[in-house]
Amino acid sequence: MLSYIGRRLLFLPLVLFGVTLFIFIAMSFLSPYQLVSSYIKSPDELKNQSLDDLVKKYQLDDPAHIKYFRWLGNIARGNLGYSRSANMHVLHAIKARFPATLELTIFAIIPVVLGGIWLGSISAIHHNSPLDHGTRVFAIIGWSLPSFVFGIVLLMYFYGVLGWFPPGRLSTWADMVVLSKDFVRYTGMNTVDAILNGEWAVLWDAIRHLIAPTISLSYLWWAFILRITRSSMLDVLNKDYVRTARAKGLPENIVIGRHVRRNAMIPVATVAGFMVLGMLGGLTITETVFDYKGLGLLTATAAQQLDYTCVLGTTMFYGVILVVSNLVVDVLYALIDPRVRLD
Amino acid sequence: MMKKLLRNPLSMLGFALLAFFIIIALLAPIIAPTPERHKHEPYRIPRYGWQITPTPPSEEHPFGLTQGQHDIFYGVVWGARTAFFVGLVVVGLSCAIGIVVGAASAYIGGRTDEIIMRIVDVFLSFPFLIAAVVITCVLGKGLDKVMIAMVCFWWMNYARLLRGSILQVKEEEFVLAARAAGVSHVKIIIRHILPNTIFPVLISASMDLGSVVVTAAGLSFLGLGAPEGYADWGQMISFSRNWLLGAPGEPLKYWYTVIYPGLAIVLFVLAWNLIGDAARDILDPKIQA
Repeated sequence: MLSYIGRRLLFLPLVLFGVTLFIFIAMSFLSPYQLVSSYIKSPDELKNQSLDDLVKKYQLDDPAHIKYFRWLGNIARGNLGYSRSANMHVLHAIKARFPATLELTIFAIIPVVLGGIWLGSISAIHHNSPLDHGTRVFAIIGWSLPSFVFGIVLLMYFYGVLGWFPPGRLSTWADMVVLSKDFVRYTGMNTVDAILNGEWAVLWDAIRHLIAPTISLSYLWWAFILRITRSSMLDVLNKDYVRTARAKGLPENIVIGRHVRRNAMIPVATVAGFMVLGMLGGLTITETVFDYKGLGLLTATAAQQLDYTCVLGTTMFYGVILVVSNLVVDVLYALIDPRVRLD
Repeated sequence: MMKKLLRNPLSMLGFALLAFFIIIALLAPIIAPTPERHKHEPYRIPRYGWQITPTPPSEEHPFGLTQGQHDIFYGVVWGARTAFFVGLVVVGLSCAIGIVVGAASAYIGGRTDEIIMRIVDVFLSFPFLIAAVVITCVLGKGLDKVMIAMVCFWWMNYARLLRGSILQVKEEEFVLAARAAGVSHVKIIIRHILPNTIFPVLISASMDLGSVVVTAAGLSFLGLGAPEGYADWGQMISFSRNWLLGAPGEPLKYWYTVIYPGLAIVLFVLAWNLIGDAARDILDPKIQA
């Protein structure tokens, strides 16, 4: 297991290096003048300097490798630049927005994993029954509903008609409570902070705002996990050791719980990393639909306004999250699959 | 395989939907004729006024007029063409890149293979949508930029798939025989190896068309793709975001701005997924047993 994790640990810096290289190459598509001009709103701001002077002053015409290492140094010191679209430093914007995104992701991932595995294994146990066909149709629909269409329809009905699940993160009154002096922000996640502060009305309001984006973000991945669990359960159910277990006279629920489900989880764990990737991307769209002020919306708004600094800065941050989550997934994988551990 | 696909009711439904979209895309100029005044740019949705609020469906405009009085029916019909165009170009180009990289990597083997595959791993470990957002942001907005961005991050799976199957046939006798006969490497790859290995790549690529179209529509929805008023489903849905609340007392007043383009895209993807799902079950020997 140690050698496995060691190998993965060696790969992760490579990923991080790849991310920095990707961002840097993307940046080098922009000419020095484009970089300068993104900060200048009107000719008056130039104050009699020419653009050439500014390019010289900020050393924007240096050779690529020098710029790359200078840029890396800046990132290492936490200087990701200033975002025009968010009107603050990129790092501050990320700090302010990250808890919201983390909260949404946690809300989405737990039902996806538990529900998907549960439905998938039921569907496999009752292979080719009406229940199996039902869940398959449910999965195909989930797999085909783009989150921006599904999200808008959810909002139209559950907010427009019923008024249940409003967009945003909090209602105005709850926002006032959260921003007031007595309310301590421990984590930045509204639900957790509301519980810690004992503000039950705020907790309810935060949950109300989370339900619709959670559904729209998770349906697709629910279908995904369901499909993987189902096919891997079907595979394991045909294995010899399952027949042996049944032949020994073990009760069916022990056969399923101990011999089938645990082994069927291995392929599911392999795709978990893929799911995290997809969700990170999906957040940009879901948060835009629901006007949920998290990292995804930050990136999307910045991209619309061609705010390169912010897009590249948040991307760098995504790279870091990615490396961390990959590591977690790998360790989990090693814990589930004894073959990896003994390797 | 085709026979089995045709016997499965779900995949039949998929084929029927797909045929429907192909007919719409082919006959677009007949179903929704371009008005005389901008014959030279048929992909721009004609406007019937300058008012911002949408107009409900009428006899003249069966799906209604969306924000800025753009004709929804026209946009949905011509959007089918855009969808096929984007899907085929992105999948085709990524497939080409994937085949070149995968074939080279597997055929050369050794350290080159190792390095190329690590690069592929790095590409694969990044969220696709975010990478696409970054590239489009740097290149500038536009449908062509979206397609470039998608191709840059879509080829890796094909490369991996092809590499896997080439590694299996590389040492087979017919390859060794060709090599012994002095056939050049490029010719061996093209004439002997690819015909025996390319099939799974082509199948998986054709199944990807639906998800490519959704992703491109998603980028258009974010405002990075097709410009306002272009016949593109994603762009039309981003219009409808402003109208999802309706008017006081009439919460669903502007339903037609979402439902028609939304339905078009959902059915399009559904068609591909129904076929793909059935194909996967048929091809997967594990489920057969």
